[in-house]
Amino acid sequence: MNIIVCYKLVPDPEDVVAKPDGSISLDQAEWIISDYDLMAIEAAVQLVEANGGKVMALSVGPSQLANSKAKKDVLSRGPDELYLVVDDGLRDADTSLTARTLAAAVAKLGEFDLILTGEGSADLYFQQVGMQLGELLGLPTFNAISKVEWSGGKLAVERSLEDEVEALEVPAPAVLAVTTDINQPRLPSMKEILKAGKKPVVEWTLGDLAVQDGLAQRVEVLSVRSPKQVNRKQIRIEGKPEEAAQALIGHLSKEGVL
Amino acid sequence: MAKEMWVFAEKPALQAELLACAKTLGDAAAAVVLGNQAAVDQAFAQGADKVFWLGEKPDHLLLDDYVPTLAALLKEQKPAGMLVGATRRGKAIAGRLGAALGVTVLADVKKFIAEGDSLQVSHMVFGGAAVRLEKAVTDIMLATVSFGIVEALPPDPSRKGEVVKVAFVEPKWKAVLRERKPRPPSSVNLAAAKKVVCPGRGIAKKEDLEMIFELARLLEAEVGATRPLTEGLDWLPRERYIGVSGAFVKPDLYLGVGVSGQAQHTVGITESRVIVAINKDGEAPLFSQSDYGIVGDLYQIVPALINALKARK
Ligand SMILES: Cc1cc2nc3c(=O)[nH]c(=O)nc-3n(C[C@H](O)[C@H](O)[C@H](O)COP(=O)(O)OP(=O)(O)OC[C@H]3O[C@@H](n4cnc5c(N)ncnc54)[C@H](O)[C@@H]3O)c2cc1C
Repeated sequence: MNIIVCYKLVPDPEDVVAKPDGSISLDQAEWIISDYDLMAIEAAVQLVEANGGKVMALSVGPSQLANSKAKKDVLSRGPDELYLVVDDGLRDADTSLTARTLAAAVAKLGEFDLILTGEGSADLYFQQVGMQLGELLGLPTFNAISKVEWSGGKLAVERSLEDEVEALEVPAPAVLAVTTDINQPRLPSMKEILKAGKKPVVEWTLGDLAVQDGLAQRVEVLSVRSPKQVNRKQIRIEGKPEEAAQALIGHLSKEGVL
Repeated sequence: MAKEMWVFAEKPALQAELLACAKTLGDAAAAVVLGNQAAVDQAFAQGADKVFWLGEKPDHLLLDDYVPTLAALLKEQKPAGMLVGATRRGKAIAGRLGAALGVTVLADVKKFIAEGDSLQVSHMVFGGAAVRLEKAVTDIMLATVSFGIVEALPPDPSRKGEVVKVAFVEPKWKAVLRERKPRPPSSVNLAAAKKVVCPGRGIAKKEDLEMIFELARLLEAEVGATRPLTEGLDWLPRERYIGVSGAFVKPDLYLGVGVSGQAQHTVGITESRVIVAINKDGEAPLFSQSDYGIVGDLYQIVPALINALKARK
């Protein structure tokens, strides 16, 4: 089975710096594979290990994507081929432009049985792109997938919703967004890291693709700022557990929250 | 023409909040309802001025199968926008509708701000480290909205309004539902809780949560969680986790037990009145965001608290 797995390269949310004026700086941030997508990559690799075929990794984004370390990183996690749309026109792309660009790239990739995506991205976590992509391609599309099996040209999946788990049979090809607990992504082995440099990489720019409905953004970002901080009392309670417990209860009682 | 704001939510309680929100955003609020006559009446009681009625859902269909119906309806009626309840299924439906209509979905909106004729929205980004303010530049605004951003209106069963029946549009593809495995019902409504006790990874074993539940019972608090306890460890249902990708709480008292205080979690608690941290690491970031902090082993502090609270009763 041929699987396309979509991933996003994001500024590491751990490296986001809040400046004293409330603005946000990403200048120091390392760009990494969005951690939610690691589960999608692992799921794709496991399915191909079990059923044969190949995994094509696909990402669209700004110039950081073309960084050779970033390319090796994704390929060392098991995909056989890498396809990238690298274009600074995709910096801060909204979910619609991202999904339409992915759809245009998918159209160039040939036959596939399944597209996997992560649950959301570690930077924006809008959880939209996979669903929009599926609809643009006119394919069966589901999120919250916590289990996928392939048998007889069909996908048997479990979908973990708030109140129930649905066991679904989904016709292929389909687009599925997986949960974070679908698997535990393995760490790349030395062998895989060495192999990664030899795997095929294809790079396009937006000019190479026919993106439906143009490149205009559908949302205007007005500001990105650190959230308002509330000043807290920061009272430390010391002493033995029993004393500390009593002291806390005293404070809470005075606050009127007991 | 009157500007209509629509809502679509699979959970009635969420629909009630979205209707209250929609009424502040448009001249009229309409609910798109899937269900029986009682569900239609309920939408009116919750504040809908109009109901687009999809009828009752046959068992073999998924809510997802209504996406083509909803897309056709939105294209035909052109409301100002639609608020979709941000359940997992709701997010999938919103995303697919966004693609069908050629708009970007404003995801997990925390606040709507009317600016003249345009509507601005804010949501969390970078795992809670930043708030992003933005504005849709498309005709129809699609947004997903979770519990807790607006309070539901008191129900008024005497309210009535126009019902528009909507015909089902056959989807191009369908999945076959093989089985439905209900999860243990979770009646947690963290967004509404007045007190929240929140265990974190400082809890070593699932069994030890029993003492957290006992503490919560004595405090008359709901039990929340950090994400690792619900996803990954699976010790508690996901509805219980607080933070950027989970629930936002605004209780009078938040008590974090063995919670480090990463931004992804703490953005969900900033509106708490009093924040208390119990952590053995005096450097844990949650302390600087707390009103009261006890540095110590939770396995000693929590039993001491339980005893002291019992003695008080
Ligand atoms: C994109 C993204 C989104 C996320 N969204 C969320 C979210 O919505 N909600 C969320 O909660 N997390 C979220 N996370 C995860 C988040 O970053 C943290 O990993 C998580 O909140 C940490 O949970 P914790 O505090 O329970 O665990 P830890 O960070 O492991 O902290 C455990 C704490 O327990 C203390 N401790 C240990 N033993 C004891 C003891 N015996 N007595 C007292 N204290 C003890 C330790 O000192 C430590 O401070 C998200 C992460 C990402 C990347």
